Amino acid sequence: MPVAFAIHDLTADGSLTRIGNNLVDGVSNGAIWALVALGYTMVYGIVELINFAHGEVFMIGSFIAFAAFGWFGMDLNTAIPLLILGLLLCLLISAIASGTLNAMIERVGYRPLRDAPKLAPLITAVGFSFILQNVGVLWLGGSQVSVPDLIGSQDVLFQISGVEVTNGDALAILTTVPLVLALTFFIDRARLGKAMRATAQDPDAARLMGIDVDKTISATFLIGGLLAGAAGLIYALYQTTIWFHQGFEAGLIAFTAAVMGGIGNLRGAVIGGILIGVIQQISDNRIGPEWTPVIVFAFLVLVMVVRPRGLIGEETRQAG
Amino acid sequence: MSHRRSGLLATGVALVALTFGLAACGGSDDDGSSGSGSGSGGEEVSIYSSFPLQGASRPTGISLQNGIELALEQAGYKAGGVKINFEPMDDSTAQAGEWTPEAESANAKKAVQDDSAVAYLGTYNSGAAAISIPILNEAGLAMLSPGNTAVGLTSDAPGADTGIGEPDIYYPTGERNYARIVPKDTVQGAALAGVMDEDGCTKVGVLNDNEVFGKGLAANVIDAGSQYDYEFVDGGAVDTKAANFRATADDFASQGVDCFIFGGITASNAVQLYKDMAAAMPDAKLYGPDGVADTDFAGGLPDDVAARTKVTVATLSEEDYGKEGAKFFEDYQAKYGDPGPYSIYGYEAGKLILDVLERAEDPTDRAAVLKALFETKNRDSILGNYSINEDGDTTLTDYGVYNIKNGDLEFNEKISAKPGT
Repeated sequence: MPVAFAIHDLTADGSLTRIGNNLVDGVSNGAIWALVALGYTMVYGIVELINFAHGEVFMIGSFIAFAAFGWFGMDLNTAIPLLILGLLLCLLISAIASGTLNAMIERVGYRPLRDAPKLAPLITAVGFSFILQNVGVLWLGGSQVSVPDLIGSQDVLFQISGVEVTNGDALAILTTVPLVLALTFFIDRARLGKAMRATAQDPDAARLMGIDVDKTISATFLIGGLLAGAAGLIYALYQTTIWFHQGFEAGLIAFTAAVMGGIGNLRGAVIGGILIGVIQQISDNRIGPEWTPVIVFAFLVLVMVVRPRGLIGEETRQAG
Repeated sequence: MSHRRSGLLATGVALVALTFGLAACGGSDDDGSSGSGSGSGGEEVSIYSSFPLQGASRPTGISLQNGIELALEQAGYKAGGVKINFEPMDDSTAQAGEWTPEAESANAKKAVQDDSAVAYLGTYNSGAAAISIPILNEAGLAMLSPGNTAVGLTSDAPGADTGIGEPDIYYPTGERNYARIVPKDTVQGAALAGVMDEDGCTKVGVLNDNEVFGKGLAANVIDAGSQYDYEFVDGGAVDTKAANFRATADDFASQGVDCFIFGGITASNAVQLYKDMAAAMPDAKLYGPDGVADTDFAGGLPDDVAARTKVTVATLSEEDYGKEGAKFFEDYQAKYGDPGPYSIYGYEAGKLILDVLERAEDPTDRAAVLKALFETKNRDSILGNYSINEDGDTTLTDYGVYNIKNGDLEFNEKISAKPGT
């Protein structure tokens, strides 16, 4: 799709500015979906559970970040050094809170159902999703809430040949890339990361090798929640509007991204998230916003038909 | 030990879940109130109302319900020699954050099944009315809306979706049972188109939320605007659940759009939409219909966006309603606080239904009440003199144009729709 529109732009306008802007917007939007998708894919990879509450954990992350802005008195007049410091603190708070919440959900709701039929934890996840949505409604009400535009989300930071990069784009990309790289490094190299991979491949064998499977699973939920919390803060700053339903929508998109990339595969989730972000932007801008959900899910169907294990492929125990 | 701890944890979680569940269930009833006449003896009739009391439309829903309640209370919950039992209902859910077809359908069915019900006051959302009108129509129950403006509910004028058979699709018996006291969107569309012409718009970007009201209103604005010099860029419907609308806004900006209007309601992610439009088009003027005329929208917009946004509502300034209006606003303020733009329509809906019960041959008979409603002619009301025509539409045509200041709507000017629109 981007290639087709790039050719169109070159022939019609003699420039790639428009498609360039679409790609920048799409990548920044997709970066947020990717962060949320990582939580889905990590959990599915290790316990083969679709954690339907993950989108709501992300939503709670946004709410906590919004509250933290108030605790630190951050507003449009806050000096830049203080703003950066405050935002880093808020990032830490929302990530830790969401991570802890996700780990608690696992401990309380999913661990007791480890050996139960798969439908039981699935329904429990749906239950937690509704509980957290209601927490959101009771917390900030049932409608969209404006967040102070602390970073000037849509202010242009710089331009390259007419392609604009806004503060929001920079925030989303510059926060997501290091987080994803750190996570990939952690999973590949760290002892706990290796334990997570071993558990994902064969929990019984992992246990025989001395790995504490329960702790490893808890850590997976914790890390997924940390990323969701970080995504929550970025979302609040990027969109400047939050509400209790954002988790459901983001969850749907992120889950689609995880499946598209290959559920259980970290790189797949990131690629899936960014792809969906780009498709959404191009469709909204070129085809018409009413067609966007159709195009996104048609693309998902196409990917599934051609590559049933996703673009990159699963790294779950069935795949192995 | 660990088993006992797990048990305690599970119990704790169950209690938390129960608490949230109860809180969520209880939320919808908090603002509900009902009353009935305290007079001795006599027959009793029930009047139901159905408005969104949760989500973004809650302020409007509450003010409509309060307006009705105030009118009934002032009459002592009595009219035409019968006692009135007022049953307010909520057609929204916390989960949806707005009205839902399921809730509205359940409300209409509840009213229909109550033999003492003689009138159904509602809805605010035109889409909700499209659900309940046919249900009430089959039961011959009169419906009176103080908030619906979609054209297709009553007529096949521009803005109606004649492809799906509007308006006949809503009246399976072939008889009309629905009336409204707020002017329909051919009037609002003309008012908005006129304001945009006055403001010097040259290219107007239009989007809608693909709902009965929003889609129709967008069509009405385009239809009414065709008589002016500016042109339209119709972007069609948006996905209201989208995280943002930046790409669509960029598209409008690249086409030189200098004015923007959204056919939709606040719950359709309007705050995000207007923010994105304002950011992509820093000099564009922004317009909204009565669907966004509430505090959630006005308060949600940043000051710089609010400063270039105008909203139309059928409500005029307090001065335009004379002494009776002044008394209403005083009474409402004393009992409920800030009246909001729609409370006066709720009040008039209550007053009209009291009048209908007085005029009805038998106020306990649904058919007689329905007949009396459609016989409303030259009524001197708080809104001015009006009649209900055979389609169920009011003859009122005035619209108010509001600015947004300090998170609130501020009356700017009165617009009378041009003849023939």
